[in-house]
Amino acid sequence: MSKDSRMRATINQKLTEMGERERLKELLRAKLTECGWKDQMKAHCKEVIKEKGLEHVTVEDLVVEITPKGRALVPDSVKKELLQRIRAFLAQHAT
Amino acid sequence: NREEPRTRPHCGITHARNPHAVSTMSPAGCPHVSGFKVDNWKQNLRVIYQCFVWSGSAETRKRKAKSCICHMCGAHLNRLHSCLYCVFFACFAKKHIHEHAKSKRHNLAIDLLYGGIYCFVCQDYIYDKDMEQIAKEEQRKAWKMQGVGVLQTHTHTHTQTHTKYSTWEPTKRELELLRHNPKRRRITSNCTIGLRGLINLGNTCFMNCIVQALTHTPLLRDFFLSDRHKCEMQSNSCLVCEMSQLFQEFYSGHRSPHIPFRLLHLVWTHARHLAGYEQQDAHEFLIAALDVLHRHCKDDNGKKANNPNHCNCIIDQIFTGGLQSDVTCQVCHGVSTTIDPFWDISLDLPGSSTPFWPLSPGGDGSALNGESHTTGATTLTDCLRRFTRPEHLGSSAKIKCSGCHSYQESTKQLTMKKLPIVACFHLKRFEHSAKLRRKITTYVSFPLELDMTPFMASSKESRMNGQYQQTVDPFNNDNKYSLFAVVNHQGTLESGHYTTFIRQHKDQWFKCDDAIITKASIKDVLDSEGYLLFYHKQFLEYE
Repeated sequence: MSKDSRMRATINQKLTEMGERERLKELLRAKLTECGWKDQMKAHCKEVIKEKGLEHVTVEDLVVEITPKGRALVPDSVKKELLQRIRAFLAQHAT
Repeated sequence: NREEPRTRPHCGITHARNPHAVSTMSPAGCPHVSGFKVDNWKQNLRVIYQCFVWSGSAETRKRKAKSCICHMCGAHLNRLHSCLYCVFFACFAKKHIHEHAKSKRHNLAIDLLYGGIYCFVCQDYIYDKDMEQIAKEEQRKAWKMQGVGVLQTHTHTHTQTHTKYSTWEPTKRELELLRHNPKRRRITSNCTIGLRGLINLGNTCFMNCIVQALTHTPLLRDFFLSDRHKCEMQSNSCLVCEMSQLFQEFYSGHRSPHIPFRLLHLVWTHARHLAGYEQQDAHEFLIAALDVLHRHCKDDNGKKANNPNHCNCIIDQIFTGGLQSDVTCQVCHGVSTTIDPFWDISLDLPGSSTPFWPLSPGGDGSALNGESHTTGATTLTDCLRRFTRPEHLGSSAKIKCSGCHSYQESTKQLTMKKLPIVACFHLKRFEHSAKLRRKITTYVSFPLELDMTPFMASSKESRMNGQYQQTVDPFNNDNKYSLFAVVNHQGTLESGHYTTFIRQHKDQWFKCDDAIITKASIKDVLDSEGYLLFYHKQFLEYE
């Protein structure tokens, strides 16, 4: 594992341990709903299902189809806010 | 606590890629879970959810943080899954869990992020009813422990729990009802559902105009259309039931005018002073109707709503506000405060026999509410400023001061302590003094959007000598209101006619003149004289 991924793993561990990960998830959920991202994704999913047909589509199909679009459509403001939260948390709990 | 790999009877099915393996999903899951559902599987599954998916306690969180990494590459992201047959975590994105499933012939895994169950034979996530039930329960438990979600107070037991909003799922009965009633109504931006005329039964426009305002009060509409009233009255004279019926009529899609004879009869029964075929005052009818509805409602616990301080009925939830009265002793400056509930605010108008405090046109409040002063007309904000001004009670009306222990001159001031969700302003156009009975037709300009902040008890401190120096907080949305209904009176005190403008969707307005409904422009509404003004809070908060 590279140094980068090792650091990520450590941060993730800390966030999970302190329950902050769950809180951040909730915050992210709320933000993405507020800005309409969730509705956009839902609509895109419906399109994919229509294309592939309800009988044959799998969760994997949906994941593959909407992940790139989903990642691209997250507003910068949301990314900023979450990064800020994580930074603040790490600063508070620095060992 | 899973510590050693368990041996399980295998399904004995090959994992070769089978394009026909995917079938329609059913709540019975897939045939491949039967191998898992043996012995103490339920408890084992619960443990997996509690420890590795939705960790509620600090202990489980710590364990999850440490152990949830891919056994093959060490990654903690990449859609980590746990094998259901043994202790093995591996990532999905890099297909490490797939390799495990194939080599060990363990065909089920659980997604540690969302708790979904994946079947490697079906090559998709499956939905088994029993497993879903367990998943839901464990998720709720974890949320509770974490304190996630909205705080709900249970009035029965006086406890509070966190309940997270979850999407609605129909019950068996509801599914049945939906199947037997296949007709669906689509609400488009130009549909006229909810609009219906009312036949005038003989000077009953005073009742009709209020009914139009009430049937277009969003929260009230939602309450009645979701059948929230459970009647406990023995007789057939429950006004709340009749309102419920009325909403059904209005939203039925029928376009012919409705004949509200039952409503009129109930009003005559419960509000004797309004009986008869003479023209009555619409404002009086509004208050009487709210009063009867409030009396006939029960609060959540099924107790009778006869305690005005603790009623939780829909009428109180929507219409009741708190008016604060501060009496200040001019000698010791001690303040005596009382708070009284209100359903409406009655405002004196210039030109009435009561002295109208001469206010300079403009001023902070009006600018805040965007009212026009081009013609120098009085605004709603002017009236509210007058209503909330400190009033010297004079030497002939001394109040006993508890600080001075004697009668002293004092000032009295009214401010809003608690704002209702629907604020109704009553412009006192009908003067019934000993000297004369007349109608004041002074035009009062009112806004589409109203900010009540300057009139709040909390804003009082920043007001000095009638000069409103208020720094506006653009992020505080608590006190912002939108106009949604206007009741107008045309004519004289002796013979007049009531009509109502109501708002449909965001910017469409309609004029309701008994049986006739016509489209109206925003200008029509704002140029009208205005008698009763109904405003709705823009932002609602959970308690």
